[in-house]
Amino acid sequence: MKTKLTLSPDPIDEAALAKARSISDGMGAVVTFSGVVRGRENEATITSIDYESFDDMAKRQFELIFTEIEQRWPIESIRLVHRTGIVPVNEPSLWVEVVAAHRAEAFDACQHLIDQMKLRVPIWKKPIVT
Amino acid sequence: MQSKPHIKLTVRFWSYFADVTGCRETAIEAEAGSTLGQLHDLVCKQFPKLAEARNSTLKAVGLDYQDDDFVLSDGDEVSLFPPVQGG
Repeated sequence: MKTKLTLSPDPIDEAALAKARSISDGMGAVVTFSGVVRGRENEATITSIDYESFDDMAKRQFELIFTEIEQRWPIESIRLVHRTGIVPVNEPSLWVEVVAAHRAEAFDACQHLIDQMKLRVPIWKKPIVT
Repeated sequence: MQSKPHIKLTVRFWSYFADVTGCRETAIEAEAGSTLGQLHDLVCKQFPKLAEARNSTLKAVGLDYQDDDFVLSDGDEVSLFPPVQGG
């Protein structure tokens, strides 16, 4: 399984990521997910979220999750981008792509990846209130 | 009487733990053979506000999560942080 993980303060360019997609002939499912910063957090209006990451441990934990996925589902590739630093409302903080032969494993693996990320990957958010 | 040997550890604080402790990391000496749970107790004594979040605190040694009974070694880098919130 091919994986590409990016933790970066740069804006997530979804069009460029889609353009850079590379899949083999046998693949019939590409599941992508974008997590976008909402304008309200804990009932307060916010302008952005400041994401803090323990980068080295985050990379280690993502790699462990990728290995679990590889052992459980026939996935060809995963690309994941998590933005760090200040992310304005309406902009994506997370982008995930899972490529597989069929949709069931692609959806399941994508869901598992995000669920586990929210439990284990050391990234925290601080809402910036107006 | 000889004093027990000690180990030197670095404790790093993440997210709002850095705000309540007023630092990103601190050096701590503990008795050789100390566990991660015992170190956590020591840290909570030094920074009492962390004790309020004791039960929800996540703990890692190096880049891996560890349980309270994990035995620490000299030079270990321990991280303490609140529940994660990626995405």
